[in-house]
Amino acid sequence: MTRKKYAAALLFAGALFAQSDWNWNLPKGFPVPLLPADNLMSAAKVELGRYLFYDTRLSVNGATACATCHRQELAFTDGRVTAIGATGEHHTRNAMSLVNVAYSASLTWSDPHMRELERQALVPMFGEQPLEMGLRRNDGLPRAIASDPRYLDLFARAFPAEAGPPTLENAVKAIAAFERTIISASSSYDRYHYGGDNSAVTAAARRGETLFFSQPLSCFRCHGGFNFSDAIQYQNRPRHEASMHTTGVASPGIFKAPSLRNVAVTGPYMHDGSLPSIEAVLDRYAAGGGHVAGQDPLIGGFTLTAPQRSDLIEFLHSLTDAALLHDPRFSKPQ
Amino acid sequence: MRYIAVFAFSLSAALAQEASISITGAVASPVKLQLSELASMPRQTITLTEPDGSKDEYEGVAVIDLLKKAGVPTGSKLRGKALTTYILAKAHDGYQVLYSLAELDPDLTQGKFIVADKRNGKPLFDYQGPLRIVAGTDKEAARSLRMLEELEVVQLKK
Repeated sequence: MTRKKYAAALLFAGALFAQSDWNWNLPKGFPVPLLPADNLMSAAKVELGRYLFYDTRLSVNGATACATCHRQELAFTDGRVTAIGATGEHHTRNAMSLVNVAYSASLTWSDPHMRELERQALVPMFGEQPLEMGLRRNDGLPRAIASDPRYLDLFARAFPAEAGPPTLENAVKAIAAFERTIISASSSYDRYHYGGDNSAVTAAARRGETLFFSQPLSCFRCHGGFNFSDAIQYQNRPRHEASMHTTGVASPGIFKAPSLRNVAVTGPYMHDGSLPSIEAVLDRYAAGGGHVAGQDPLIGGFTLTAPQRSDLIEFLHSLTDAALLHDPRFSKPQ
Repeated sequence: MRYIAVFAFSLSAALAQEASISITGAVASPVKLQLSELASMPRQTITLTEPDGSKDEYEGVAVIDLLKKAGVPTGSKLRGKALTTYILAKAHDGYQVLYSLAELDPDLTQGKFIVADKRNGKPLFDYQGPLRIVAGTDKEAARSLRMLEELEVVQLKK
């Protein structure tokens, strides 16, 4: 090995070492997320990402940060029918939750090919139709951030093998790393199902769970598994194209079945935010969707008695992870 | 629509009485076995790996042992016409899956199928049990039918 190659190998090893301090500390039932080879996790990178996630200077007018449309107390949604950009422009879609996004096989409502958080983060930053954060394509990372002494230190610790000023590429890597840490696994359902605590959920929630997983309702066929979504990926699971569904429940199109974790706090619902409550969603599915061409045959309608409807809703509420909604690890840095 | 109401009422009724499994159809002697009777039969376990790599141990009785109780031909008797026999497993919620009799018999294949009543030493979750088929050699769980109530034996070749 030449001295040059040896030095490069040392540098590479150093970079790996710098990124190897991450311990997922995953709860029971949760597999290790899939990571891009060029963006391994590190505590310093996650910390940088958290600062950037909450920084409104990442928008054209200082009005909007990632956190504006992804509010922690709402399981990283925004509570609006559709999202609103920095200049007041309305998005056509409801803001998706970022909870457990590390496991998402696709990252938007309807594009199965948008799979990398690093790439997706550029869409709200630079998108023009609609305008979300309003940054200009050729400007790179805003100067106010790139020259901020705090960020110079954060970037240096997050990317120790790289010299030079902070870059947009590293900024989105850090934001993606932070987003991947937002893992919800402490709901009462989790304590019951994975923790073996039978008192963690009510009898009504357990009856609701049975309904949820029953053949006549078949909710679980699209919202099953540990993340209550079929658009999922993790280590040791072969990558495959994320499932998309035509439900006809809201406006036309094929859409991802989002995770139902924390669903009680992520309304309004559906890709267009057109349904204001869980009850409204259930009613629409009970009616058999929109009866549109190409509709998923699983959506054939059902009838629930009032107590059953109540049980099913109680089960869905048991998926709320109250601790996550205020966990300081995911909160705005002070 | 009406089906759901039936499911609802029968669910509460089922919970009020001891779970059982019926073996019906083309059998020498149809039987209905109570959950407590399964406890006294030879027990087997199947360990499934969860997405996080953890292991869940399901315990119960081999499906073939239950079928033997109804006089279904197994082992050296499972030849000729009997090899066209299939088993339709039916769940309380209406879900149904199919197995060939031959794939359930360890004398003929490597398959491992049990009717489980315990998971990690405890009764199954409500939405799974009280009885669940665990298809230990299937790659996916689609045939690991939950809420099992009946095994209907069907002779295909007339």
